[in-house]
Amino acid sequence: MKRGAGAVIEIRNVTKAFGGTRAVSDCTISLEGLTITGLIGPNGSGKTTLFNLITGLLKPDSGEIRFLGNRIDGRLPHDMAQLGLIRTFQLSRVFPRMTVLENMLLAPQGQTGERLLSLWFRLPKIRSEESENRERALDLLDLLGLTRLHDQFAENLSYGQQKLLELGRALMAKPKMILLDEPTAGINPTLIRTMIEMILTMRERGQVFFIIEHNMDVVIEVCEKVFVLDHGEKIAEGRPEEIQKDPRVIEAYLGC
Amino acid sequence: MDLLLHLAIVIAIYAIFALSLNVEVGYTGLFNFGHVAFFAIGAYTSALLTLAGFPFTIGLLAGLVLAGLCGYLLSIPALKLQGDYFGIATLGFGEILRMVVNNEVWLTKGPMGLPGIPRPDLFGVVFDTLPAYLALSGGFALVTFAILAFVVLSPFGRALKAVRDDETAAEILGKNAFRFKIKSFVIGSVFAGLAGVLWAHYTTFIGPGDFTLTETILVLLIVVMGGKGTFLGPVVGAVALIFFQESVRFLRLPPEWTRLLGPLQQMVFGLLLVVLMVFRPEGIIREKGGRRGD
Amino acid sequence: MDSISYYLQTVLNGILAGCIYALFAMGLTLIYGVLNFVNFAHGELIMWGAYFLFLFMGEPFGLPLYAAILPALALTGCLGLAMDYSVFRPIRRANRLTLLIAAMGLSVFLRNAAQFFWGAEVRTYGLEVTAGMRFFGLTITAPQLAIIAVTLLCVAAVYLLFFKSRLGKSMRALSDNLDLARISGIDTKRAILAAWVISAVLAAVGGILLALDTNLSPEMGVINLIKAFAATLIGGVGNLWGALLGGMLIGLAENLGVLFISPGYKDAVAFVIMVIILLARPYVIIGERSD
Repeated sequence: MKRGAGAVIEIRNVTKAFGGTRAVSDCTISLEGLTITGLIGPNGSGKTTLFNLITGLLKPDSGEIRFLGNRIDGRLPHDMAQLGLIRTFQLSRVFPRMTVLENMLLAPQGQTGERLLSLWFRLPKIRSEESENRERALDLLDLLGLTRLHDQFAENLSYGQQKLLELGRALMAKPKMILLDEPTAGINPTLIRTMIEMILTMRERGQVFFIIEHNMDVVIEVCEKVFVLDHGEKIAEGRPEEIQKDPRVIEAYLGC
Repeated sequence: MDLLLHLAIVIAIYAIFALSLNVEVGYTGLFNFGHVAFFAIGAYTSALLTLAGFPFTIGLLAGLVLAGLCGYLLSIPALKLQGDYFGIATLGFGEILRMVVNNEVWLTKGPMGLPGIPRPDLFGVVFDTLPAYLALSGGFALVTFAILAFVVLSPFGRALKAVRDDETAAEILGKNAFRFKIKSFVIGSVFAGLAGVLWAHYTTFIGPGDFTLTETILVLLIVVMGGKGTFLGPVVGAVALIFFQESVRFLRLPPEWTRLLGPLQQMVFGLLLVVLMVFRPEGIIREKGGRRGD
Repeated sequence: MDSISYYLQTVLNGILAGCIYALFAMGLTLIYGVLNFVNFAHGELIMWGAYFLFLFMGEPFGLPLYAAILPALALTGCLGLAMDYSVFRPIRRANRLTLLIAAMGLSVFLRNAAQFFWGAEVRTYGLEVTAGMRFFGLTITAPQLAIIAVTLLCVAAVYLLFFKSRLGKSMRALSDNLDLARISGIDTKRAILAAWVISAVLAAVGGILLALDTNLSPEMGVINLIKAFAATLIGGVGNLWGALLGGMLIGLAENLGVLFISPGYKDAVAFVIMVIILLARPYVIIGERSD
């Protein structure tokens, strides 16, 4: 995993409007490597829209987005993953009718077994890739506390367990950056703890995160830098303790 | 006894046809209502080539390749359409192909059809008895089943199911949904072509009237009733429905009745589709998923 | 001079076909707009409308044409209601493909039911063939004049119903948003029933006109469904005037097209137009679409 200290993601003057309303307005954000960055703001401030823009689900009306120096705005979502950018969703999107393990095994990029022609000619390589991936998946599931559920269908997991699975799945892809959309929303305190531990452990191993969070306790504990959005505009950036005291931020949250 | 052999042969051929549609409908979520077009392409290609004197192996290979190629060419524009628009566009393609076959008499002899298609001649063995043909089509059916099972159980198949269940989530994990769908469509088309080749050399006479909406509905019913997205589903469906359809020949009825039997059977098929959609859209054999007692 | 009147005659034929397709398309787009699915069995409403007239004109009823029309339309309306009640209402909430397949099954059932009762042969109403009247070098028969007149009548009736009545307002509300309409206290049941009756009656009228001008067969619904769908797409889903325009366009395109291509492909014209339109729409990039 690359340990770059330069900007991993650069968002420059990005605007996206729906109908007459600007969901994201002339936003400029720079995400450094080796950091866990947070994105906060009142409801409707454009956080998820920004994630959608970064991951290719939406195309910006203007501005650019760069990932490791390469322009990615307007490219298709599957390109992002292949470049090393993975995201999770606010409402967990695990594949319900596949097992936990299968969900995990979907994530690694560039699997030889996913190429139709390779199935006939490179079977041994596919087999060894599969068993390697299985091992890694089981290790991650162990860290997440989901080992005993590995062959359960994902729809049988509790909501919190599904969100942990989503995180594990993202990690399986060995991404250069993970975008987490409200990872702790709607899950019980024990699992929140597990989630935080997981994020911090991965941070130690060099994993970079960009996290949308509403829970300020989590933000303070986990994030090293925070950006604040309000009505689609960036209104503050800095360390969590600093922005907590920023009057503009306080007003944004109180004013809604 | 002959009747049973005939039944088994038709079941084997339709099992291949249904398994091929199942890859598209069941495992990728693509509702291809024009699937019969590739059946027809396989049949006509092999028929024309063998009638022109080429050996069966050439006819077979050409049928497979042409069916797959046409599948590829059709899928590129068609897959830009969502859901039921895709269904209707593919339906249209099937109908247009039938019109072409009907009109281009210089190539296909049009409505008069192609009679006298030779029985297959493989490695010196001529398959012109019923048991021999059963061995041939049954063998191909088993091979088809094995190949498709292998594909579905592979990482490729896993990614395909992910694309089917949640395209956005699959894309976010790096799966190029468009490419996966095209590949699935081509696989389906190739094996539909195989079924068509086997059909042409069995009935030895084909015409545009053999490849209509009726056949599409039949194979769709087989897949949907048997249970789409499963291995056994299409096979079970084929056995049940072909048995029902062909069993008419078991009954010896006065001629006035036989005229009515055709539409009556079709009415049952239509009704079955409706009842299935209302009460049990998953079909007889359900896909994995749901609570497991643990 | 002769070739001009030949072309004009072709245009006239195009308009006549267009009127009929417009009626088909308006019925189809109405249901598509209000209930958000393609009624694949709409072609059978067309066909049964024509056959109901045949039924009443033959033994044991033996009614003259004008007397038989009303019961034929009424029965087709009932058929439409029955279709909704027995098949589409139970699966109202299912996904679009389930509805499409159920409609296909219904279509097969109804088509073969007609074949069961009347056989697969092509039939006519057995009316006297009258000589065409000549206008400005064009020939037009009485049934063909009826096509134009009746279509105008239907369009006017639909206009009044849809835009000048409360029922029409309800239907338009449902077209916009079914759930919102329900919550707003609009009598959705009545509006849906009305939509089916209108759709079925328009189909029946079109089917009867078509059969008067040409003939009847159990298969007549299928190809006309495709054309109606093409017209619906041209005009935009749920858009009645669009359907009218789309129908006319297809009628004209078909008839003018035969001047250049083989008549065996006449039916393909509507199809090809439809495919072109479907492909020309912007490709939907994967987004959070709720469907």
